[in-house]
Amino acid sequence: MNTIKLAMRGLLRNPRRSVVTLLAIAFGFAAISLFAGYTHNVYDGMARQSIHGELLGHLTLSKRGMSKEGKLDPERYMLKADEVARITDLLQHEAHVKLVAPRLRLSGLISNGRASTIFIAEGISPEAMKELQADAMSEEEKLIYADFIKKLDPIHPENALLSFGLADMLHLKKSNQASLLSNTLTGQANALDITVDGTFNTGNAGSNDKFAIMSLSLTQSLYDTEGGADRLTVLLDDEKQTEAMRKHLQEKLQAAGFDMEIRTWQELSDFYNQVHNMFDMIFGFIFSIVLTVVVMSVANSMGMTVVERTREIGTLRAVGLRRAGVVKLFTAESLMLTLLGCLSGLFITLAVRFGINVAHISYTPPNSASPVPLLVDLDLSHGIFTLILMVAVGTLAAYLPARRASKQAIIDALGHV
Amino acid sequence: MPEENLHKSAIPLLRLHEIHRRFMLGETAIEALNSVSLDIHSGEFLAVWGPSGSGKSTMMNIIGLIDNPTSGEVWFDGRDTRGLNDDELTDFRGHQIGFVFQGFNLVPVLSALENVMLPLQIQGVSEHPARERAMVALIDVGLEKFKGSRPDKLSGGQRQRVAIARALAVEPKLVIADEPTANLDSENSRMVVDLMRDMNRARGVTFVFTTHDPRLLEHVDRKILLRDGNIESDEVTA
Repeated sequence: MNTIKLAMRGLLRNPRRSVVTLLAIAFGFAAISLFAGYTHNVYDGMARQSIHGELLGHLTLSKRGMSKEGKLDPERYMLKADEVARITDLLQHEAHVKLVAPRLRLSGLISNGRASTIFIAEGISPEAMKELQADAMSEEEKLIYADFIKKLDPIHPENALLSFGLADMLHLKKSNQASLLSNTLTGQANALDITVDGTFNTGNAGSNDKFAIMSLSLTQSLYDTEGGADRLTVLLDDEKQTEAMRKHLQEKLQAAGFDMEIRTWQELSDFYNQVHNMFDMIFGFIFSIVLTVVVMSVANSMGMTVVERTREIGTLRAVGLRRAGVVKLFTAESLMLTLLGCLSGLFITLAVRFGINVAHISYTPPNSASPVPLLVDLDLSHGIFTLILMVAVGTLAAYLPARRASKQAIIDALGHV
Repeated sequence: MPEENLHKSAIPLLRLHEIHRRFMLGETAIEALNSVSLDIHSGEFLAVWGPSGSGKSTMMNIIGLIDNPTSGEVWFDGRDTRGLNDDELTDFRGHQIGFVFQGFNLVPVLSALENVMLPLQIQGVSEHPARERAMVALIDVGLEKFKGSRPDKLSGGQRQRVAIARALAVEPKLVIADEPTANLDSENSRMVVDLMRDMNRARGVTFVFTTHDPRLLEHVDRKILLRDGNIESDEVTA
């Protein structure tokens, strides 16, 4: 029997009911796809922000124990100039490695001559910073969020960039002088003057009043460690290679006699992980609700269809259709209904996505220093997953009424009014 | 069983032996068929008649293998059907028996031709040969011009002719028709019985049908009168 043809005709028997069920599936699919597309965009943006905007790179290398004990015994865990050079030499020609950049972070007090406050400074070479930030934003985002991207001046290493809040707090403007006070590696006090070369937005309300970026040589001078670094940042050409490269580089460094700890950008970005977990939870919640609605709609629709067509089922059984054939017929109907529903949902998704993306809607997320655009991606993997799951669940929802119908005695079915 | 009924072949097409069929209505047992024995031979054109509640439909259901007797044996073409499971019985029915129902029971969303093709496609006959065979059956019942019409566009007589074509399309040995003329006027009733008679003669298919209408009994070879679940008379008229 041409089950598909019969199933398709079956759907047209009660067009209103089929359309209502189809719309429930379509809007459910669209809701899931749009939310998945939105979270995909958020994850993607946050990943780029972490890797490129926050200058985390893909991998961060430090001496084993640095993350736990580094503050207590900085000398022990500091990478010396020759170690930095050897490791850089070892890694920079590896496949997928775009950049190996030594980094030095320190904290202390910053003063405008009248008042002072705490600062956290990130030392990085201007060239490395430029390369790290290259893929931080799309061309469209660069136009909207230009203040996130700032460059260090390679000619004037005494120049530094201050976060908006920090500069504002001390009334510091471009070209103003400020003094930094910090400990050296050996615990002595050291001070240096810097020139404010500009301000930038960290994107995070918590760090926007204390963060500074300065050249690696400036932080090395302040920390009194010539050529030293507390860690190395590795930038890869492909984010998907992060885990594989961690393993590979770990082995390579081990073989060369370096006992190093390698952490990925995801391990270092707590905020990314927290947001990811939260959105995953919301996605699961929405997905469960939508699936329940779909199951109930399909089960209700197919249940009514089966009752209405009891006599036809009796006739088909009488003329030679096996019980399994009856189940196949109704599950095929449900399969087609769910497939058509998902297809309609895809069109709704595309239309709504287009509307949202051209509307230039923005919002300020929690803990963010500035608004971010509300954009929706087309998340193919989630879309396919949703399609498969909805079709499977929709088909299963028809299975029970179909099975019940197939088990009915033929003479009872034929006598059904 | 009357001796004169064993006039065609030694093995009957269908043999009912000591058939009992009991239904429960609440706590009351109703004996719809009471020790019915009957042989039907290939090529017969047979009517079962009797008053309402006499057990005609029950007997047709058992002959058509869509209901099981409470006790007794049903032999079809020399084969005891008691040992068949549901799938085997379904396949057996699909190949050997055609059905014509009182209410036509055509699938409303399929055209006349598609309705006739349906049992063939259930059997696994592919689209093209099924279409050809269904078309032949439609021509036989004179409805080739209505092949694309859906049942709701056909008259009652035309629908029943489509149902007859559907029953014949699989080339069954036996066609069961339960009150095929009950929903038709007298002219259409006669036309439908004439058509069944023609098919019986032309194709040699055995027809068993039930009726209330004594005028239709003039056309049959054999008529069985049922009353209260018993065969009251079994008369060969041809």
